Amino acid sequence: MPRMKFICDAERCIECNGCVTACKNEHEVPWGVNRRRLVTVNDGKPGERSISVACMHCSDAPCMAVCPVDCFYKTEEGVVLHDKDLCIGCGYCFYACPFGAPQFPQAGAFGLRGKMDKCTFCAGGPEENHSKAEFAKYGRNRIAEGKLPACAEMCSTKALLAGDGAVIQSIYKTRVQTRKRGEEIWGWAMAYERGDKKAGAKA
Amino acid sequence: MKRALIAGLATAALILTGCSEIDQKAKVEKVYAGKKDARPADDARFGGDRKKWEAALAERSKGQNEYLRTGAAKS
Repeated sequence: MPRMKFICDAERCIECNGCVTACKNEHEVPWGVNRRRLVTVNDGKPGERSISVACMHCSDAPCMAVCPVDCFYKTEEGVVLHDKDLCIGCGYCFYACPFGAPQFPQAGAFGLRGKMDKCTFCAGGPEENHSKAEFAKYGRNRIAEGKLPACAEMCSTKALLAGDGAVIQSIYKTRVQTRKRGEEIWGWAMAYERGDKKAGAKA
Repeated sequence: MKRALIAGLATAALILTGCSEIDQKAKVEKVYAGKKDARPADDARFGGDRKKWEAALAERSKGQNEYLRTGAAKS
């Protein structure tokens, strides 16, 4: 049974925003909503690193725990999805999410907050597969077509990997073993300590 | 002396309660209240054959490893 996961190889990401564009285009995501975005650490300094961030489809998802209307569910493949017909747009999930994944369209006047929108791992939602309703609410269902999320497939440097956790872990492991560096980019040292010097020295 | 000892023990016990852990697990099990979703393998192109769907996805996943695609690395 596959367990779907994303991993972004910070050693390879070149901050091209191809994943962000691919996602926006694939699902015709409305203006102001970004299901995926890039985060750069130590921007402009030698050894800067970027990672592509979206919903990480957590194993114990905090958004599911706080939702007052229980509109979240997890598929057999470990993808966290939600029912937009139930969502009341309260924003609890946004506060609970450590990645800032839930997005709220603000198309109306007075900062009106619409129903939550987030990365679906290109797995659609609780509507008939490939139906107009599914596309309008959740975007294209590539997973039911046997394809991977558009962001990962579009990534030119293959920094962003998607798929079964065991498979992408093995790909990342092969890379680290082959280039003999890269695992130190993830973790506390990179984010809060001498990550720039450490990574810069090895790069 | 005895009173001071009792007061001391009571204070220590009170302070120690701060080290205890309160169970934060939700008492009520969260149950999804929305509509049922179709499984990806139920798509027409896979006809409900989960193994076929998993194989298609695994093929795509492995395609992300250009070391294997180009034969540049063992593994």
